[in-house]
Amino acid sequence: MSTSHPIRKKRPPRLLLGAVLLAVALVAASCGNDDDGPATDASAPAAETATAAATPAPTAPPAPTEAPEPEPEPPAEPVRIGILFSNSGPAGVFGPPVANIAEMIEQDINAAGGINGRMVETYLADDATDPEVGRQAMEQLLDSDNVDVVLGTHSSATRQAAKPLAEDANVLYIYTALYEGGECSAVMFNTGEVPSQQLAPAIPWIMEQTGDAKWFLVGNDYVWPRRSFELARQYIEAAGGEVVGEEYVPLGTQDFSSVAQKIASSGAELLFPALVGGDAIAFETQAVDFGIGQDAIPRLANIYEENVLGAMGPAVTAGMRVTLGYFKEVDSPANAEFVQRYYDAFGADAAPHMTFSSHIYDAALLYAAAANSAGTTDTEAVVAALEGRSLTTPTGDIAVTESRHLAQPIYIAEIQDDGSQEIVQTFPAVEPDETCDLS
Amino acid sequence: MEALTLETLNGVGLFATLAVVALGLGIVFGLMGVINLAHGEFVMVGAYTAFVAHDLGLSHWASLPLAAAVLFVLGALIEITLIRRIYRKPELTILATFGLSIVLRQAVELIFTKDFRSVPNPVPGATRALGVLFPTYRYLLIAIAVGVVAATLLAFTRSRFGLVVRAIVADRDLAESSGLRTGTANIFAFGIGAATAGVAGALVAPLGAVEPQLGLSYLPGAFLVVIVGGFSRLWGVVVGALIIAIAQTGVIHYYDTVTAQIVSLGLAVLMLQVRRSSVAGAST
Repeated sequence: MSTSHPIRKKRPPRLLLGAVLLAVALVAASCGNDDDGPATDASAPAAETATAAATPAPTAPPAPTEAPEPEPEPPAEPVRIGILFSNSGPAGVFGPPVANIAEMIEQDINAAGGINGRMVETYLADDATDPEVGRQAMEQLLDSDNVDVVLGTHSSATRQAAKPLAEDANVLYIYTALYEGGECSAVMFNTGEVPSQQLAPAIPWIMEQTGDAKWFLVGNDYVWPRRSFELARQYIEAAGGEVVGEEYVPLGTQDFSSVAQKIASSGAELLFPALVGGDAIAFETQAVDFGIGQDAIPRLANIYEENVLGAMGPAVTAGMRVTLGYFKEVDSPANAEFVQRYYDAFGADAAPHMTFSSHIYDAALLYAAAANSAGTTDTEAVVAALEGRSLTTPTGDIAVTESRHLAQPIYIAEIQDDGSQEIVQTFPAVEPDETCDLS
Repeated sequence: MEALTLETLNGVGLFATLAVVALGLGIVFGLMGVINLAHGEFVMVGAYTAFVAHDLGLSHWASLPLAAAVLFVLGALIEITLIRRIYRKPELTILATFGLSIVLRQAVELIFTKDFRSVPNPVPGATRALGVLFPTYRYLLIAIAVGVVAATLLAFTRSRFGLVVRAIVADRDLAESSGLRTGTANIFAFGIGAATAGVAGALVAPLGAVEPQLGLSYLPGAFLVVIVGGFSRLWGVVVGALIIAIAQTGVIHYYDTVTAQIVSLGLAVLMLQVRRSSVAGAST
């Protein structure tokens, strides 16, 4: 090994091995690198950047500007609502409706008199579906935008990365995305659907509807599908059903032929797909040609929403049932009026308003109600005012539980032949099976 | 027996997809020493070409040569403006093509937004053959993908153009001083690599969602194929795709998809160790 020849031969592989490893690392990181940077929404007046940083607790609220006098009082410092969401990367497709709703949050809360007489401003920050970017985005909201509260709709990975910052800054952080459950922190509330809410009523319901009992569970390989399936098993067995197969696929899977084979030969009568985004579309598109489409094996889905269903097309989706905490078809005057305003404001072809955007809106209303009732935006006071608070929103009747989650309606929608969603079952005030003991 | 036939067809389908997706990556890596992290985006642009073609009312089959043409031109332009400045520097090609991949994704997002797009399956349903029902489109995908891979490999190994490219690979300086137009040959080699990715993208478009992130789903698999198959010969892509397809299909059948993923990655690590010497030979 001492001649120059082997040395020359040995260097390139190291270089290449390093190159390949670097390549893989870059690929892994690439989802996170196409962010637009945390963007602030709403033309925040530049003059206000001189405000004191740190504690978001300017307690004494100035007198509400009730006077119709032409001469305005010096405007009170606005209440800043940060919104941490995914506007790029794999979950970026959920960004546009959330950004739209941020505008409606400002309009609606301000039209109702703001919070303790102060106007609200929303500040948007994009996590690019990447926890590290999400941590930086949270930092931006807390340190540069000086927000009084953060509403988050993004992955659990980002929540785990961003949570310590909110805790250190003692800023209220309301996580509004549907997720696997289990979160419990002094500064956090979690208003999204948890699997126990989506599944406990829906699984017995669909088994009764179809008369079928043998289930196949197929999901992406991460915590939320795994937790969903763990609970689904319990509810299926409690309802006298049986799980005949359970399969997890990595995120980004494009070929489902072998998985389709397994499902076809399992004897399954019902399918519970917990697949997200492009994976869901690839699976369902291919499943039809493998003879395991909705017609052969009815679906109960817990994340298929309009973007995904639209890309699958009605030929694939007709008949599927989806269990979620909100559909824009929710039948109530308040919701009809809200949805009408949404599409009037953002156009008929606007990104569909759906469960993520609806939960962000509800969380903002909850926050405003709690802060108004507390008479301050001080975190401890608002947290205390949030506990046990109930509210009626376009979503329906919601109530904050002792576990710092949300008792909320759960809807089952059935996809029609033209691809539209029709709500076929409503379970009001479904309690989450969660605990949170902070003492 | 029926299950075996079906799994074999699944394996062949996966092999054909992997081979045609990885082919361009193998060409530009094996022949030009360029580690192209934007290869997935070439596949993605090919899929969008199929989407646009469908939107314009063209047949899906017409979108395949169209995607090849679009990506050939795009690849040639990228070679001229970017790649030719960084030959022989694998680290730089990684960074440059990584940047390129972001630019391509964002450009597509600007034009088409983030929405999921779809290309309808031109031949929905399944065909009964060999005693089993198997999706018709997959039969055609297999035939076309294998045809594209075979034709491309033959072009590089049997034609005069292939001879020129291989001469440049063997010794760039000597080839240049012998009067070969290395610049033109590079444009064509990179362009053809991109064109095959375009065809691959158009081929897989009806099997799932067309979205800006699509390439990121295909790139890791393509790298696995190239790593397992080896860089020294273009046929390595075929060998790599075959090994990965057999391993994936078999492991999913007997165990599960997560284990299959681990096995594929393990194979790649193993092959990198085994192939150290041949890697060295190809990287000069």
